[in-house]
Amino acid sequence: MLRVVDPMTTKTTKQQADAALAPLAGLSRRKLLKAALWASAGTAAVVAGGFAWLRRSPLDDVAVPEGLKHLSASEYHLFHRAIEVLLPTDGTTLTPVEQIPVITNIDRFIGLVEPAIREELGIALALFDNAAVFSGLHGKRFVDLDDESARQYFDTWSAGNTLQRTLSSVVKKFVYLSYWRDPATWPPVQFDGAVSDRWGIPSLGNTPLPDESAEVTA
Amino acid sequence: MSRIDTVNAVPAQGLNLVQASDVTAGELTLRADAVVIGSGAGGAVAAYELARKGLDVLILEAGPYIPSSEFSEDFSDSLERLYQDHGGQTNKDGDLLLLQGRCVGGSTVVNACLAFRTPDFILEEWGEKFGLTNLSPEAMQPWFERVEKHLSIDANGEHEIAMHSQLVRAGARKLGWSVKPLKRNIRECALTGHCVSGCKTDRKQSMLVTYLPWAMAHGARLHSDTRVTRILESGGRAVGVKAEVVGHDGIKVADMHVDAGIVVLAAGAVQSPLLLLNSGLANGSGQVGKNFACHPSMYVAAKYPHEVFPWRGALLGVYVDEFLTPEKGGFILEAGGLGAVEMCLVNEPGTGKPFLQFMEEARFNSGIVTLIHDHNVGEIRWEKGRKVVDYKVADSDFPSMLAALKASAEIHFAAGAEKVFVPSIEKLEIHSVDEIDAVLARLENKPQRLRLVSYHPQGTLRMGADPASSVVAPHGETHDVKGLYVTDASLLPTSIIVNPQVTVYALASYISSEILKRTPS
Repeated sequence: MLRVVDPMTTKTTKQQADAALAPLAGLSRRKLLKAALWASAGTAAVVAGGFAWLRRSPLDDVAVPEGLKHLSASEYHLFHRAIEVLLPTDGTTLTPVEQIPVITNIDRFIGLVEPAIREELGIALALFDNAAVFSGLHGKRFVDLDDESARQYFDTWSAGNTLQRTLSSVVKKFVYLSYWRDPATWPPVQFDGAVSDRWGIPSLGNTPLPDESAEVTA
Repeated sequence: MSRIDTVNAVPAQGLNLVQASDVTAGELTLRADAVVIGSGAGGAVAAYELARKGLDVLILEAGPYIPSSEFSEDFSDSLERLYQDHGGQTNKDGDLLLLQGRCVGGSTVVNACLAFRTPDFILEEWGEKFGLTNLSPEAMQPWFERVEKHLSIDANGEHEIAMHSQLVRAGARKLGWSVKPLKRNIRECALTGHCVSGCKTDRKQSMLVTYLPWAMAHGARLHSDTRVTRILESGGRAVGVKAEVVGHDGIKVADMHVDAGIVVLAAGAVQSPLLLLNSGLANGSGQVGKNFACHPSMYVAAKYPHEVFPWRGALLGVYVDEFLTPEKGGFILEAGGLGAVEMCLVNEPGTGKPFLQFMEEARFNSGIVTLIHDHNVGEIRWEKGRKVVDYKVADSDFPSMLAALKASAEIHFAAGAEKVFVPSIEKLEIHSVDEIDAVLARLENKPQRLRLVSYHPQGTLRMGADPASSVVAPHGETHDVKGLYVTDASLLPTSIIVNPQVTVYALASYISSEILKRTPS
């Protein structure tokens, strides 16, 4: 289980949410729904403005951790799986993903998204999860793919049509920003972060008024 | 006109301004000789030039006042506090991030300090195509000299050329290409590499520590958190503005009415046209908001066999101007660094372990920023109450994008890079010079292909002699509304390839002199 912490102790910004969501800006709801139909081999069921789940997942019955405020259960499972696939820190020199509140940061991102975009995002995430049933003939939702298939799914979509590139990019940005914005991830890559105070660099303050006695005139 | 002849001392630190938290009345009525909308490059310079000649100047800035002592040197945090839309401003397709400052001092607070004069051939083209013969290289020279002197603009010394820039310089020289140290507006650079998060120790000569405190020493008043909603006009003349004072919690504190016979619009090339459209003014040509260009940029990273630490040292050191003129390609390449958070977003190294390896090796990466001479094909407008930045890279500009990518890759390999990461959404890497053409041939000019960033919106209130095809006359006043002047990058009738801050400073200085010529004493 990934770490969930008190959102008040973490620092996730609206900027990060906006940046992660930037690719969605070009997809109107109408376009998104229309695109959903063909992106998943014409079989995605769009019912009353939302997705009918194409395939049940064992995860559908798994409870989500307490403390999350904005992610739905299915969105939590999607991001939980995406974090596992995108940030396999075991065996690397990087800060273990379990030590960073990635899912909490994502939850806060979602809470900062404007309502209209939030609705589209929900549809987009459902599409990303469901389309795996047919895209690449996996026969399973994304959350149920094994590691190798899930990785291939991301790579295939990043080279796919505009909608696929957009959605894979959105999911990756959410996950990457939620991990790397935490200063605890910086020491292993030797990123210095803020330095002026640490180095004791004095401020020069305001620059004195310029000498206008030899004024340049055109 | 009122005359203010007293000159106060410039405070050692900070600005004595009015913020939303200082406002107690629900209605404010103010009077000034000149109201300046925006406190960035165009607004601050105009405010100083007018105030030092005795005009009573009021500056209204929509963004907050963040003193440099509160800068965090954390890019994520800085985007949230100092940038337009908290760093999330994009084009309509969502594949171009448009970064602008939104704070007292505007984009000058968060830019990379790069200081170029407008290329001569650009000024000459403006004369030929737009009737701007008053902006010839000879005519503009004294204005460039003036702002360069004021802002301590000088070429980087050798100590300001960090490892990432040394590599680019070595690669370009090996290829026989022209490469030069960048000029920057900075005093005693502390080499922190955090320019785009604001200079915490006031070495960058942004408007926050130069023209704004200077204008205020000459009596100018500055209100932050104050968003102008409408420019007021009567009988074909500008007569003031209406504005709202909004607290940092987003709640309106007060309505403001300003009476002023001179209105200087300098809110930036996105906000300025939106304000004119809201006001229903100065659009007899139908060109308000049109002709948007932005120098769409890419960060072309490469991995070297040794540590580079792209976040250490001066952020940008040298540039390659071999391809500056349109006949040679119309682009420049700037050697630049990057922090770890930004590094995770600049390209696609692959999913899972390949991505983590890329980040583990981030300190081995160096980068090149590409700037192209894009055509003015975009538009800024309102749609259902929301601003829209309608801009796609033109098909005619895509070859320049590819040429800039190719040249960047060639420089990296000449400098000894092991591989070049194409800034695309899909994973694309180049492992040798021989592979460059084949890999780049896979790119198409379609949405969500390349990772684009723009720092230089421009062109949306273009200047020209013909009122039928331009918004602003050659002396800076709108064709349609007397007393309404524009001094920001909206003016530029074509993109200028290079970073535009010095162009804006010089134009604002020149236009201020024109305002003074037309102002009764």
